[in-house]
Amino acid sequence: MAKICDSIGMVYSGMGPDFRVLVNSARKAAQKYIQTYMEDPPVRILVKELAGIMQEFTQSGGVRPFGVSLLLAGVDERGPNLYQVDPSGSYFPWKATAIGKNMINSKTFLEKRFNGDMELEDAVHTAILTLKEGIEGQMTEESIDIGIINTISAAESGEAKPIFKRLTKTEIKDYLSNIV
Amino acid sequence: MSIMQYNGSAVVAMTGKNCVAIAADKRLGQRALTVDMGFDKVFPMTNRLYVGLAGLATDVKTLHDRFRMHVNLYKHREERTIAPKTFAHMVSHMLYERRFGPYFVEPVIAGLDDNQQPFICNMDLIGCPNFPNDFVVCGTADENLFGMCESLWEPDLGPEELFETISQALLNAVDRDAMSGWGAIVHILTPDGVITRELKGRMD
Amino acid sequence: MEFGLQLNERPMEAPREAHGHNHWNPYVDTGGTSLAIAGEDFVLVASDTRQSDGYNINTRYDSKAFELSNKTVLALSICSADGKRLYEILEQRAQLYFHKHDKPIGTEALAQLLSNTLYSRRMFPYYVFPILAGVKADGKGVAYSYDALGNMKDVTHIAYGSAAALVQPFLDSQVGFANQRNADPNRQLTRDQAMRIAIDAFTGSTERDIYTGDWLEIFVVDATGVHKEVRELKHD
Repeated sequence: MAKICDSIGMVYSGMGPDFRVLVNSARKAAQKYIQTYMEDPPVRILVKELAGIMQEFTQSGGVRPFGVSLLLAGVDERGPNLYQVDPSGSYFPWKATAIGKNMINSKTFLEKRFNGDMELEDAVHTAILTLKEGIEGQMTEESIDIGIINTISAAESGEAKPIFKRLTKTEIKDYLSNIV
Repeated sequence: MSIMQYNGSAVVAMTGKNCVAIAADKRLGQRALTVDMGFDKVFPMTNRLYVGLAGLATDVKTLHDRFRMHVNLYKHREERTIAPKTFAHMVSHMLYERRFGPYFVEPVIAGLDDNQQPFICNMDLIGCPNFPNDFVVCGTADENLFGMCESLWEPDLGPEELFETISQALLNAVDRDAMSGWGAIVHILTPDGVITRELKGRMD
Repeated sequence: MEFGLQLNERPMEAPREAHGHNHWNPYVDTGGTSLAIAGEDFVLVASDTRQSDGYNINTRYDSKAFELSNKTVLALSICSADGKRLYEILEQRAQLYFHKHDKPIGTEALAQLLSNTLYSRRMFPYYVFPILAGVKADGKGVAYSYDALGNMKDVTHIAYGSAAALVQPFLDSQVGFANQRNADPNRQLTRDQAMRIAIDAFTGSTERDIYTGDWLEIFVVDATGVHKEVRELKHD
């Protein structure tokens, strides 16, 4: 899991090294946007940028396609956004989704459990339950990562600003202890 | 004489209560010789955002074209119109890209944001932005405009009062500047639309 | 806007042989602003009192407007030293006039005398832009503006000095009613109106011109004499 800019975070399923290359590109694209407009990029703009890069690697000579699927989550002017990007360069928005080994079951699970009025706490809870479905053995704070995007009012300006944050081990542990 | 004074210009923008005004003179000269009495220096970027460009006329035209291109690209890319603040930072970025070979233009930006609040901004020729909440001026009549605005402007003016204030400020300022004048154009941006009026001034 | 500093400027250098373009410059600009507004039966003169040299303030209280008689005030902008000298000379000449004619010198005569005095120094002028304001023999208010060489013009309103560019268009608008189609051109300002305009002009100038500020001396001249008032301006 990686932070791209204040308002956007990204997770993957697939090859770790390929993900790190894409994180690098995404962070650079985000900073370029911020330098030009002095505001965070809308999620869709960053998704298009990444999808463009991934598409290029399906067509260019001397390179292979990226071996990852991505989930990008962020909050912008339009509200909360969740996008999936595939190695082909195709991308689509979701309300809730999963990628990886157990995605079929996880998506079925989410279809039943998800609703649009969820508070953040409920969403984290549902996410953990979804992961739990597909995990063999014990699920601990060592074996999962959780990222949230909260709207926090900035200290200097008082302006509400979305902030991406990875939960600490202790915070994850607290969530897990509530599940049993 | 500096290259900034070669063509002559006067641009001013003022905030009001839920409205904002931007105005400019219409003269184009080559030093003391007047060439055109209908030269535009204020351009619409969206229907809630205007930009005024004072300085070297050739750069005024080039920058206007480039701003228009970038605003259109932004609109296509992001499927939304650019906000005044975002546009201001884009302009600043574009000018600073030419830090060591600048466009000889000082931009003034006036617009209404999403909450219909007035936004004004001005920059030097390399893009250092200011965001005051009263008024901004630039051009060859800048000192005259400062004197007028400092004494005429007051907070929370309505659209018609704001029109009278900015018009008087501009006309009296350009009358004491040989490099600008020959009529003026005023745009008042309100939530209901833009009011544009042409002013007749002294033709000397 | 022009940049005051240039890259090739070398501050704090030991004095060198004075030949070629490296001459000593006798003209010093000590900043400050003066204005005059002439009414029907009075005239108002206002000057700030800051005296500066570049970014340094030499003093916050240096008068540059002086009473020459009980019906005339003289305001001298730009170079403080030249202004004071010129005032002394004019005061002496006024005294001589009194002895010779056995009556005080009138505003019109002083105005012409000032023009002649300035022009007598045509080849090495005083670095001042004077405003002479007073009441005439018929009791009407009048202001004369000059350039450093003695060009003279009687005016209804005038501003000179470091903030002249800021004040002059404001006076054109508020005193001369310029660009006001419905205004009666013969409308006369009252004393209070003139006073308010002068104060507004200086508070505005103090805000934007670094050479103007500290204190404001306002002289109102009418048939009863010269009335002086001092007000505070911002000190920053």
